[in-house]
Amino acid sequence: MSGNSAPGAAPGETVIDARDVVKTYDTGIIQVHALRGVSLEVKRGEMVAIMGPSGCGKTTLLNSLSGLDDFDSGIVLINGQDITRMPDDKKTEFRARDMGFVFQTYNLLPVLTAAENVELPLIVSGTRPKVAREMALGSLDRVRLREWANQRPAQLSGGQRQRVTIARALVNRPAIIWADEPTGALDSATATEIMDLIVELNEAEHQTCVIVTHDPKVAARCHRTIQMADGQIVREDSRERMAAVANEH
Amino acid sequence: MNDLFGVSMDIIAAVSIAVTAGILLLVAYIAWRNPVMFKLGLRNIPRRKAQSSLIVVGLMLSTLIISAAFGTGDTLTTSVTSEVYSILGEADEWISWDPEKEPRPIEEQLIPLATVEEWQRQFEGDPDIEAIVPFQRETLPIQNQRSRLNEPSARIVAFRAADAAALGGLRDLNGAPVSLSGREMAVNEDLAKEIDARVGDSVIVFYGGQPVEFTVSAVVPSDVLAGAIDPNAKNGAAVDFATFADITGRGDNANAVIVSNRGGVKDGLKYSDAAMDKLEPLLEDTPYQVVALKKELVRFAELVGASFTTVFVVFGLFSIAAGVLLIFLIFVMLAAERKPEMGMARAVGAKRRQLVESFLAEGMGYDLGAAVVGLLAGIGVTLVMVEVIKAFAGDSLGIPLNVTFTARSLAVAFCLGVIATFIVIFVSSWRASRLNITAAIRDLPESRPIDPEAETWRGYYRAVLNGIVALSLPIGFSFFLFGVGGMVLGVPLVVVGLISPWFYALRSSNFASPAEHRTTEGLPRWPWILGLVLPVVGWFLILPWYFIAVGLVRITRDRKPQSLSLWVRVLALSVWPFAFIVALLQGWRVRIAWTAGVSVAFGAAGVALTYGGLDRDSAFFFLLGVSLLFLWVAVTLHYFGVAERVSFTTTSAALLALWYIPSSWTKPLFGELEGDIEMFFLSGMVMVTCGVFIIVYNADIVLPAIARLGSRFGRIVPALKTGVAYPLTARFRTGMTMAMIGLIMFSLVMMATINRNFSALFLNEDTRGGFDIVIGVNENNRVDDIRAALASAGADTQPIAATGELRMAFPFEAEVENRDGFENAEGGEVKPYSRSKIFGADAAFLAANGVTIKFRAAGYATDRAVWDAIAADPSLAVIPASTTAEQQGFGGGPNEILRLNPLDEGFEPFTLELRDPGTGATKVVTVIGQMKESADAFFALGSPDFASGIVVQKSTLLEAFPASRGQRFYLSLTPGTDEDAYARTVEAALVQASADSLQSLLDEQQRLQTGFLLVFQGFMGLGLIVGIAALGVIASRAVVERRQQIGMLRAIGYQRRMVALSFLFESGFIALSGILLGLTLGLSLAWVLFTSGDFGEEARNIDFTVPWVDLAVISGIAMGAALLMTFLPARSASRVPVAEALRYE
Repeated sequence: MSGNSAPGAAPGETVIDARDVVKTYDTGIIQVHALRGVSLEVKRGEMVAIMGPSGCGKTTLLNSLSGLDDFDSGIVLINGQDITRMPDDKKTEFRARDMGFVFQTYNLLPVLTAAENVELPLIVSGTRPKVAREMALGSLDRVRLREWANQRPAQLSGGQRQRVTIARALVNRPAIIWADEPTGALDSATATEIMDLIVELNEAEHQTCVIVTHDPKVAARCHRTIQMADGQIVREDSRERMAAVANEH
Repeated sequence: MNDLFGVSMDIIAAVSIAVTAGILLLVAYIAWRNPVMFKLGLRNIPRRKAQSSLIVVGLMLSTLIISAAFGTGDTLTTSVTSEVYSILGEADEWISWDPEKEPRPIEEQLIPLATVEEWQRQFEGDPDIEAIVPFQRETLPIQNQRSRLNEPSARIVAFRAADAAALGGLRDLNGAPVSLSGREMAVNEDLAKEIDARVGDSVIVFYGGQPVEFTVSAVVPSDVLAGAIDPNAKNGAAVDFATFADITGRGDNANAVIVSNRGGVKDGLKYSDAAMDKLEPLLEDTPYQVVALKKELVRFAELVGASFTTVFVVFGLFSIAAGVLLIFLIFVMLAAERKPEMGMARAVGAKRRQLVESFLAEGMGYDLGAAVVGLLAGIGVTLVMVEVIKAFAGDSLGIPLNVTFTARSLAVAFCLGVIATFIVIFVSSWRASRLNITAAIRDLPESRPIDPEAETWRGYYRAVLNGIVALSLPIGFSFFLFGVGGMVLGVPLVVVGLISPWFYALRSSNFASPAEHRTTEGLPRWPWILGLVLPVVGWFLILPWYFIAVGLVRITRDRKPQSLSLWVRVLALSVWPFAFIVALLQGWRVRIAWTAGVSVAFGAAGVALTYGGLDRDSAFFFLLGVSLLFLWVAVTLHYFGVAERVSFTTTSAALLALWYIPSSWTKPLFGELEGDIEMFFLSGMVMVTCGVFIIVYNADIVLPAIARLGSRFGRIVPALKTGVAYPLTARFRTGMTMAMIGLIMFSLVMMATINRNFSALFLNEDTRGGFDIVIGVNENNRVDDIRAALASAGADTQPIAATGELRMAFPFEAEVENRDGFENAEGGEVKPYSRSKIFGADAAFLAANGVTIKFRAAGYATDRAVWDAIAADPSLAVIPASTTAEQQGFGGGPNEILRLNPLDEGFEPFTLELRDPGTGATKVVTVIGQMKESADAFFALGSPDFASGIVVQKSTLLEAFPASRGQRFYLSLTPGTDEDAYARTVEAALVQASADSLQSLLDEQQRLQTGFLLVFQGFMGLGLIVGIAALGVIASRAVVERRQQIGMLRAIGYQRRMVALSFLFESGFIALSGILLGLTLGLSLAWVLFTSGDFGEEARNIDFTVPWVDLAVISGIAMGAALLMTFLPARSASRVPVAEALRYE
């Protein structure tokens, strides 16, 4: 397990470097061009939001950059390593070690407790169970859920569940956190609470965050926002611009 | 095969075909009325081809089991019947001397030809009787001079040519007529094969020790005209009547007469009753008797077939039960999978009934497919089983087995499969249709509506009231059946029970709604249709009662009282029809706690069954009743808020403990309760159910232990943990699957263990009785001194270390006082005398035998002391172990054979009176010992009736039964002598002797037993397919259900193999739990039954052995197959595309 400072990566250096990423879905009847040559750079410690209308390719871009999905052409370098050429096993290990994920639908295992869910990425990457449990409790502490550690997901509220997924994403102190609509299923108060937490952790841990969102308020909390349309990046907006948009809303 | 469980197969066929036709008509009606929903259901079948195939495999099991059981029965019936027709030919009835009417030595039991000729004249031109044929017969040794081969017991018959012509005449293998004169002999095919006889060979027959030479003039078919009468002993030959009469000195007399009816070989049977009606009065005042031989043998063949079918069906019940669980599980899971679709369908206006119809359409698609596949598979399984039986049993069956299926059996198997599956599909469809639309669309768990009466006595009262009203019919029948409450309680219960299902069906319909909620929709149509399409059942048991229910609902729907006073409610539970009225008057919106209510109904039936069981001394009804009472307790505790884990665990553990209590402990309390093979099924069902409840409610305690394994297994801990945790959150499907596997394992383990221990009890070193060779001697050519006879025949007698002679009186020629007054005849009549085999042992046998004694009378310190005492005192005797066998448990029932009360070590000697049924002469002997079971097997080995008997001195036997003719010798050989080779030497030297090595006979017995066990285990093991298919279905379903979670696991770093592993662990956990459950329960119950004496006193003292190798093989196969079945879904889970899975909803 590596910490938040990946080998060879100096502060402010590029952590995610995507060049001309193309992804096409073939449904058998029609071809959907989800990504049409997307290029993107994200620096260490940066929080980047990806916005755009439904079907514009936001989640596809996140999945392609994080190695969850393959793409047709282009190059993606994470911490200087080309994930395009990594075999599946290696890519999986890389994810377990260097990445954390937060999803809209939480995706917690209902049969495990909060602590067991959080320690899962550690155990699969070979951490001793006792150490894993300590780290999991520490991670739950950071999201202020330590006292709920032995509850199962069904016994937690939506916001609490999302905090567990954030704890799980942070537990191995990954270099990058990928979040796909992290507040999509939450009410506005809870969404604000969750974003406060993400921002707070970003500031404290200097992790890189890539967040796919529909919500300008979420985007306004990020350093910059990438606007996508029809499988392409159409522009970049600053935090201030997004704050103004959020206020308009 | 004409009967199954005592019900005519014609009736079973008619009813099952009619019900199947009704079901198909109903489905056709649904397709016509509602083609869209019908198609919606049908089109689901090809959606997931692998899953559909698995479903068909699972559903086909019932049909497979039933058709294989029927196929085996048909095969045996047809094979034995064909053999009977082939042997008896035109012979239908058999007239012979009746020693009970007039006792006389066997050589004097003759019928003068003149008498027979008088009968022939009397019945000339009779419409039923075609011919009456006298003949002489004798069992004699024969030797072929050319091949030097012998047959010690050839059945030699002699017909007059004119008489034989009436039976079709003697013909050779090519059909050419054969006539015999002088010393000519026609040998039958079987004898020709045995002694390698050809036309022209010279053969010697021995009569009274004197050789008589014949020349083989023809080889003829093995039928009654050539001595083949008994299917187990067909070696025979025909000779000229006059020549044989000269040899035997019987002159113009016959010792048996055959009657041939009108018609041919098969259709002569239908005149049998008419012929018997004429022959019986004819012989009434004569010393002769007539037996409807062909009819009896055909009936016996049908009995054999029906017995096999019954045994296979009973053993197959485990698999059928497991199959029913699987069908239910499959449809519950299909319903879960389709929940959002069904919710959407309901949202856009589909009615509950239409959802049921859609499910029925899909289910019937699987059902019909599965019935066809099951039928074909059943035929295949029968072929395999018959081949295995043939391979193991070989010639010892005595008949050639030809696989046969009757159209009726196939039709019944198909229909029963369709009906069983339809019923389960109907129930599960109905259950699936009761969904909350919003929860279903969003695929959320069903929320329970708030019930203000929940956990209150008021709610419980309502549950009891409705539960008993709804299930009045089964309760009423069980009350009737066991005489509880008599007509006063039974009749109202049955009447209410016929109406109440329709009342509850109407209760949820628009027709029954209060006026303010009612729409224009009319009455539900399906009960009308069901009533019309089901012949008889529908017309008499549905329609009239439905009309009454409609009338009652119509009257009361707008007349609901706000509340009912307490006395009315109390009265309702006391006076039956009143309960129904109160149920009718309750509000439409009130919730009924059906689980609690149904459990009360089960409890009521349990009371009736318990009472009935005690009243009839039936262990089955008693324990079934008590088990139902436990179920009622568990559900009631849960209703009143006791946690499920606590209520079901405690009641299951208590019930399990109850089942382990040996009957010898409960005997003082409840008396002796009789149980038979059905207890095997009931114990398995109840004990496995209890075990499953205990596991599914408590297995989570192993989770911390698994977590602690972390330090050893590191990365696979999460897979292990989820492998246990997931099944425990889906208790229903896990419990069902565990029960399926557990049930089959229980039955296999019980069977293997019981077989191993009984085998050890009967077939062990003691079974050789201290000898090496047994020699059967032809009764007409007895030997005085075996050693001298062998020496004079030129055989080397040096290897003989010791000899022993037994003379025998068979049960048909020996009676023993029925001392303890057991019922020993049909109808339970207590007769003063029972039948028994009696052995008379010579001094050499008594001195040399190593036969072991189980219980010695007071004053006899060793086994040797017992045998020496008998050698010294002709009034002493020992009895076989089987005499005091309790004949309960598996098999048994009254019969003619002597049965006595159990003995103990050091018992007081007691007397038994022996009686010759021929002369009525009696002799009293004193019993001083009882032999072991292995000794019974020793005396049975090499005996055609495989029976043991009472042992007395030879002189005592000859004095008591002077007409008895059986003789047997035993030899013990010097060490190093080849037993089989010496047995062949004996046979070559003595033409009247058949010799066998006791070890070879023992080996053959064990081989036979192993073969039959294998057939049964294979047959019962078919049920494992069900459990394994269930695991496959569950795993496939889990992959679909948990797609997103799999995506997440892969996202956070689970390798593909880890995902696959977690699925394999899940199936492994369920399979292992089921296997261990069956193993533990089966072994422990077998141990209790053996060591407590429930399997008889003889079994109590054995060294209980566990067939570990057999059990390891069975468990290994089950576990391996389970993992193999999960491999495909596990692999597909590991290949789930991560990004796609995370988007999947």
